Amino acid sequence: MWLFGLLVLLIKIAAILAVVFGTAAYLILLERKLLGRLQIRLGPNRVGFGGILQPIADGMKVLLKEDLIPADADRTIFKFAPAVVASGALLILAVIPLGRPLTVRGYEIPLIITDLNVGLLYVFALSSMSVYGMALGAWASNSKYSLIGGIRGAAQMISYELSLGLSLVPVALMAGSLNLTEIVEAQANYPFILAQPVAFLIFLISAMAEAKRLPFDLPEAENELIGGFHTEYSGMRFALFFVGEYVNMVVIGALVAVFFLGGWHGPWLPGPVWLFLKAMIVPVFMIWTRATLPRLRYDQLMQFGWKILLPVALLNILITGGILVWING
Amino acid sequence: MPLLTIDNMDIEVPRGTKVIDAAEQLGIMIPRFCYHKALGPAVGACRLCAVKFMEGPVKGIQMSCMVEAADGMKVSTTDPEAVDFRRHVIEWLMMNHPHDCPVCDEGGHCLLQDETVSSAHSLRRFPGLKRTYRNQDIGPFLRHEMNRCIHCYRCVRYYQEITGYRDLGAMQLASRVYFGRFEEGPLESPFSGNLIELCPTGVFTDKPSRFRARRWDLQRAETLCIHCSMGCNIIANVRYREVIRIEPRYNSEINGYFICDRGRYGFSYVNHESRPRMAQVDGQNLTTAEALRKTAARISDVAQGEGPSAIAALLSPRSSLETLASLSHLAKSRKWKTVSGIFDPGRRSRIRSAVQHLHSDTAISMQDLKNRDFILVLGADPLNDAPMLVLALRQAWRSGAKIAVMDPRPIFLTFDFDHLPATPGEMRACMGAILDSAFEGEKVADEKGAAFLDSLESSSGNEGAHAEMPHRIDAIAEALKKSQRPAIVCGTDMAAEGTGTLAADTVRFLRSRNQEAALLYLMNYPNAFGQTLLEDSDTLTFEACLEEIEEGRIKALLIAEADPFFHYPDRPRLEKALEKLDLLALFDYLPSGTAEKADHFLPTSTLFESSGSYVNHEGRIQRFHPVYEGGTPMLQINDGDHPPRVYDTDGVPGGDPRPADRLIAELGQVLSGDGEVFSDDPWKNLTADIAPFFKYRHLDAPPENVRILPDESSVFEGNREPQSDGDAEAEGLQIIYTEWIFGTEELAAFSKTLRPAEKEPFVCLHSDDAAPLGIGQNDPVRIDFGGDCVLESRAKLFDRMARGVLVIPRHYRLDWKISGRFGGRARIERLRETPGSPSPLEREEQ
Amino acid sequence: MADDKSVEAKVKTEEEKGRLRSGLKEGIEAVKGLYDSYAVTAKHLFRKPITEQYPEDKRKLPARSRARIILTRDPEGQERCVACYLCSGVCPVSCISMQSAEREDGRRYAQWFRINFSRCIFCGLCEEACPTLAIQLTSDFEICRRDLLELVYEKEDLLTDHGGKNETYDFYRHAGVSVKGDKGEHIGERPPVNVKTNLP
Ligand code: SF4
Ligand code: SF4
Ligand code: SF4
Ligand code: SF4
Ligand code: FES
Repeated sequence: MWLFGLLVLLIKIAAILAVVFGTAAYLILLERKLLGRLQIRLGPNRVGFGGILQPIADGMKVLLKEDLIPADADRTIFKFAPAVVASGALLILAVIPLGRPLTVRGYEIPLIITDLNVGLLYVFALSSMSVYGMALGAWASNSKYSLIGGIRGAAQMISYELSLGLSLVPVALMAGSLNLTEIVEAQANYPFILAQPVAFLIFLISAMAEAKRLPFDLPEAENELIGGFHTEYSGMRFALFFVGEYVNMVVIGALVAVFFLGGWHGPWLPGPVWLFLKAMIVPVFMIWTRATLPRLRYDQLMQFGWKILLPVALLNILITGGILVWING
Repeated sequence: MPLLTIDNMDIEVPRGTKVIDAAEQLGIMIPRFCYHKALGPAVGACRLCAVKFMEGPVKGIQMSCMVEAADGMKVSTTDPEAVDFRRHVIEWLMMNHPHDCPVCDEGGHCLLQDETVSSAHSLRRFPGLKRTYRNQDIGPFLRHEMNRCIHCYRCVRYYQEITGYRDLGAMQLASRVYFGRFEEGPLESPFSGNLIELCPTGVFTDKPSRFRARRWDLQRAETLCIHCSMGCNIIANVRYREVIRIEPRYNSEINGYFICDRGRYGFSYVNHESRPRMAQVDGQNLTTAEALRKTAARISDVAQGEGPSAIAALLSPRSSLETLASLSHLAKSRKWKTVSGIFDPGRRSRIRSAVQHLHSDTAISMQDLKNRDFILVLGADPLNDAPMLVLALRQAWRSGAKIAVMDPRPIFLTFDFDHLPATPGEMRACMGAILDSAFEGEKVADEKGAAFLDSLESSSGNEGAHAEMPHRIDAIAEALKKSQRPAIVCGTDMAAEGTGTLAADTVRFLRSRNQEAALLYLMNYPNAFGQTLLEDSDTLTFEACLEEIEEGRIKALLIAEADPFFHYPDRPRLEKALEKLDLLALFDYLPSGTAEKADHFLPTSTLFESSGSYVNHEGRIQRFHPVYEGGTPMLQINDGDHPPRVYDTDGVPGGDPRPADRLIAELGQVLSGDGEVFSDDPWKNLTADIAPFFKYRHLDAPPENVRILPDESSVFEGNREPQSDGDAEAEGLQIIYTEWIFGTEELAAFSKTLRPAEKEPFVCLHSDDAAPLGIGQNDPVRIDFGGDCVLESRAKLFDRMARGVLVIPRHYRLDWKISGRFGGRARIERLRETPGSPSPLEREEQ
Repeated sequence: MADDKSVEAKVKTEEEKGRLRSGLKEGIEAVKGLYDSYAVTAKHLFRKPITEQYPEDKRKLPARSRARIILTRDPEGQERCVACYLCSGVCPVSCISMQSAEREDGRRYAQWFRINFSRCIFCGLCEEACPTLAIQLTSDFEICRRDLLELVYEKEDLLTDHGGKNETYDFYRHAGVSVKGDKGEHIGERPPVNVKTNLP
């Protein structure tokens, strides 16, 4: 019996990983195509029909590139940092509920890898993991650009982690649980975005900052830091950073779907498909943003995080709490 | 000394200075076309040098080249009115100027172009037609493109006033003035090349380098002319490893702004197609290093077999001081013999005595000559021995000097001079007559001076020549007596033994009478002075060397940059003697007769490819610098097609030749083996070995422009031996070999560019000598040297030359090297031309 | 005194109000700005991309575009270049070299003429300097080669059989040197001065 359970778990993990990696890969292509169109260009269209094989070509290229490690780098940390980034994002997927449990031949198979009852805390814990990978990689590169990028990333992460966490408190309050499945269940009637638009906005903005996407890509800042924390990386290690970023986007999309868009809930289509569709909304929006907004200045970034997002998130908790107390008596 | 202000800067200049020169001293170059310092008084023809005089004796817009600087003048060169005036001058000059800069060789260093650009004239406002002229073919050196003329008159002023030739002039009037010859034909002046630099536009451009390059693409460097002993300063221009043009370089002591056409166009031996560029040992091409090793081995063999005295090194007066120093140091350190490279023993001893007699108090430079009021040219033909001398003499004559020439040859100069056609043997007596007539009855305070006069009188047994010309001698004597600053220019080419001493004694005598007498010797070879300093008392004459070779006492001969076959008059003997040698090693750059015969040939670089120094005939050390690094001219390696697309990484094609001094130093190093050190710094060797150079020991390199002469000396040599013209009883005429401006000089003989200017060689004799022999003007003649030695040529008859002499040019196209002697007598007879058979000259050409 | 205080307080509140108002205004402007920029990019999404699919559709480039250099001929079909060295002199990267020479009829021409296109930066200064309109840049930019030596063009490779941008100009009809026609026969010339007569 436990063998069967293990098998099911492995299948679930494999399926989720396959979907997420595939999505991440094609998200890259989507980003390039979409960016192209948003900038009235065509985007990649040479490999395969309409550029459909581009991710494969890129992957091959990156695999075949020489893996350069700077002479004065801290080799162990340098080698292992990209894995931290990618795995941090992947681990969050463990607690994302994909749909109602399936019942196959009388066995109930939950469509989630592990249904933690403190799922929300787990998500917070892991989302701040990825900054370690980045900061370690930056430090290990032993390069000025990388170091500056790493420091910027750490500072940015600390600032926005706060508002990120606080923005979800009202959600937890409303759902009355820290368990992600229950939060989704709580949205059976209406998605929380309708009740918590402010929390949604704060979460979205903070998540973008955490994902180091424009307009918050100061740690990379190609034109000043030449790639920032990954300046010295090349080959597959660079690709890990890169893929990590896109997995991160997918994860954020999934979280937004879970917390604000009603998770797997939706008519006609099966739950996981709804979740997938909803999870794609945020990445697309991030790409759109990238095509629209310029990078913030460092002081603007800090000011926005501490002076606007944080107070508003606190205010939001207060108001939500008040209203809940008032309604529930 | 007037003090004036130009552009708010004060300057004090000598009286008589023109404002344009005063400005130049301040570093302000007022634009000019017609004004040139070398051309004497300004003429104000171009109106370009307009400046505004704000205060002072003259006011308003004036030509700065016409106004003398005066006290209190305030001049502005940048006043808008002056600038505007100059702009208009340019604009009206450009009204008629053709639109051909792209095909004009002057473009890129054209004064008119520069001034047009700097006056910002870029658009033609004048809608009318342009004036045109027809060009003339003015000879092999210059192109004429009269449309480009801006009528500055520099050319005629130079040509007629400075060189004294009259075949180029200004014709017509008003806006139709034409500068050219009346009839088309080559320019007669052998100084015509200077028109190229003088003409501020492209009317006169250089023909040999026509359409070859722009100034900005040329490799240029300061170097020297080595086509005579004058040592004129030049700049050589190289394009793609080919020397294409020589330009004069200003030197206030020697050549001023100009050079002669021999110096200007005699350069192309450097580019000679068959110039040997590979080392050869017994007919096999080798690398230089290998050849040097083999040479050293051969020398060691000879030294072991026959002792070091079986080896001789020949010091050539064509080599640089450095090469000579290396060779003589090598010879000394290994106890070899040295041989003089001045092949004519008479000439050698005359040059030796000249070097001994030249002291810093009496020696003068060529430019000094211009300020002399009496110049006696003794046994020299200025135009043919040292061409630039003519310009100096003419300048002296223009400022009132009396010029007399005592020489047996027919002399042509472009000014009035008294010619005393004395034979070499008569010169001493002739001089005696002059001094006699000048200072007769005057008591000579100095005892030695009196003795000197006596010695002259006693020698005047030979009354022949000057007996005919007493009035001329009196006139000369008169001028000499009145002169404050007389000078004697003495040749060393054909005069008799002791003439050099005679000149020096005369100068000393004149100085004892408080006349500022000065002395200049001509030596023909570029480094005759330096070579003579490097000879020592054991140095053999070439004659003696030949004898030793014939007797088998010399087995190896090393020659650096000399060609006995070009100079030695007995070719059969020379050939036989050289064959007896175990080793004939030649270091040279000419495809000479000796190069063909040499067992070991090592290619050396020319003066354009190396650096070093020469000592000119006034004892002045001058340095030359490499213009390029050598190699076969690009146009020669690819048949004129585009250069190779891929370059050899191991050096320039034909880049084997190395400076002779380096090669010899390396030979010395190879020879010295272990333990010994051979110093390869020629200058150090020189200052260590040769007395006159001791005082420069503290220097790392030869001093530039310094005269290496002993200080004052006032001892009379008192050479009392009567001179003679050889065996007067012998039959025939006395042979005098002479230099010609084109065709007799060794380097120029290998220069294609000079070819068209060379005249067909001919021999000269007095019409009185010719008449009894039935020889008419231009008749073909046969000269019989005795034995089987016969020379055929054409005769030119002159009245204004010495009797009893036969003047033969050492022309490379005249086969005089069978005569066997450097002088002596020969019979001459008319050659009867059989109709149909080719004339001797035609035969020779074939 | 109390009055003063209340006035002060009033002023303060006024100030605060003002700040609040301007803050609000800023906020609204920011939102509007965000909206505008997202709108612009969104609109772009539906526009036709301006990308040109290069090897498939090749646009005809304007005549003055600067790429591969040619040497043109004059209306009579003669090489225009007179090897004046102006182009090689002006070329900022010194990629032109040539050797001028004189043809039998006195015409100045380039014995060889070489442009190293691997060095050329297609600045067009050579064309601007050329007094005979011989050297011209064309719009043909597709001259990449793997071997640099193939980018060294000789005169044969550069010469064309047409006049390029100007079919009519003929330098020798203006220059006044006797290559085409005698003195006085070129454009804008008077007949040559006869130096042997005094008649006007
Ligand atoms: S003379 Fe000077 S301005 Fe006249 S064509 Fe020649 S380069 Fe041009
Ligand atoms: S030919 Fe030259 S030097 Fe003579 S007048 Fe004309 S521009 Fe002057
Ligand atoms: S285009 Fe510019 S770089 Fe190219 S050859 Fe012409 S001048 Fe030189
Ligand atoms: S500028 Fe024109 S005429 Fe002159 S060399 Fe260049 S291409 Fe030839
Ligand atoms: S330089 Fe003075 S007028 Fe010509």
